[in-house]
Amino acid sequence: MKRRVAITGIGLVSPHGDAPDAVFAALLGGRSAITRWGEGEVAPAVVARAAFDAARWFSRLQLAGVDRVSQLAVAAAELARADAGISTLDQASGVYMGTGMGGAAAMEEAYRSQYASGRVPPLTIPAFMPNAAAAHIAMRAKLHGPVLTYSIACASSAVALAEAAKAIACGEIDCALAGGSEALLQPNVLRAWQAMQTLAAPASDDAARSCRPFSADRTGLVLGEGAAVLLLENYDAAAARGARIYAEFAGSGVSCDATHLTKPDAAGQVRALRAALRASGLSPADIGYCNAHGTATRIGDPVEYDALAQVWGEALPGLAVSSTKALHGHLLGAAGALEAAITVLALHRRALPPNMHCDRPDPACNVALVREPGCAAPQLQAAISNSFAFGGTNAVLVFRRAS
Amino acid sequence: MNTIEELKQLIHDKFEIDVATLKADAPLADYGLDSLSLAELLFTVEDHFSIDFPDNRQDVNTLSGLAALVDELRVPSAA
Repeated sequence: MKRRVAITGIGLVSPHGDAPDAVFAALLGGRSAITRWGEGEVAPAVVARAAFDAARWFSRLQLAGVDRVSQLAVAAAELARADAGISTLDQASGVYMGTGMGGAAAMEEAYRSQYASGRVPPLTIPAFMPNAAAAHIAMRAKLHGPVLTYSIACASSAVALAEAAKAIACGEIDCALAGGSEALLQPNVLRAWQAMQTLAAPASDDAARSCRPFSADRTGLVLGEGAAVLLLENYDAAAARGARIYAEFAGSGVSCDATHLTKPDAAGQVRALRAALRASGLSPADIGYCNAHGTATRIGDPVEYDALAQVWGEALPGLAVSSTKALHGHLLGAAGALEAAITVLALHRRALPPNMHCDRPDPACNVALVREPGCAAPQLQAAISNSFAFGGTNAVLVFRRAS
Repeated sequence: MNTIEELKQLIHDKFEIDVATLKADAPLADYGLDSLSLAELLFTVEDHFSIDFPDNRQDVNTLSGLAALVDELRVPSAA
């Protein structure tokens, strides 16, 4: 017996702040949080930073060996729980987190310290290990259920959400904190991404416009940092306690290209899209909005269009599409969760965040882009969020309006 | 400043624990230090005093015990 899954809490530490309503309002208004990288000896770059005051969440003593990636995760999880109106979670609840890199600051500091003094800080390993964020969330909330970490590059937190929803649907658990965290804005990580030649060139006139998904003049992705956690619950139990239900987690689809480590493949994405629709019992015409993966790389955006066109066919013009990465950058391991939260808020508010900085849409990406800020969607019933990862794993999440 | 007072100041600077509450013979665990935060403290103490704790050292559980070990290791450089 498959149970329905509700989203009742949203916790964000994002480039647009930590209040879901304000974050969504900023995105709906088309406000970019992308700024110039202003420190370190790095070639000109733009990033999306998340303002964060660790002292609000941790004493100095508690911060020993806790990397920024875990700090952001704990804050987002606490915010999600509070947003759901729950003071203490059931101990059997689960934690499902995604991260691409884990504790990047700890690794950067380890190398810096080693080369400067020949000494490496003793808590480098527990700070860096990718599952630290989920473990810290569990310790803070005293959760004894499954506490799991998914590291699948850009699909990490989308898969984490999908797995949490499945565990609730099948009755393994009743409640989960699920999402992702990424905090890799470190000089040498940035250099490594620059070396790969995937990052956007800083826009000379206005750095905030550097990320231009689906635009003919796009030049690449912009790295961002942050954490996003959703509180997922058994739908009937949430309804019974009178919880505010943002949306229903209707289903998910996961596939692997198995063709190339970094080059996306439409056939693989099609498999994930079809699997997600099948799992949610919806058809393409039911879906009114797609929060696209849309990283703004030359290669990636047309492949995503191709996949959507294959699955939606004649229904494609009815699917409003936007990549909000133009505004918050690419949060990698946290991207799927942040964009899931945005998709859920779009359904809840019946409004669509725009695909900004796309003055000249690429004819090779002929989707119905949300072109203007403040777009209302009074008929919106269901929406999807796409996450396509290095490594070839594709994850598509489907959400439906609460009923 | 004697070693214990220097250590108290280090602990305060690192973990924001009130110097006045730190007692020389109380277990450091009483102030909330666990094995991980103690490892960080010892790393900082090594840096501060330019010493290396031996791998086979006795467990350091109190400020006075830590100060005695620091003083023992500092002797050669002070001579």
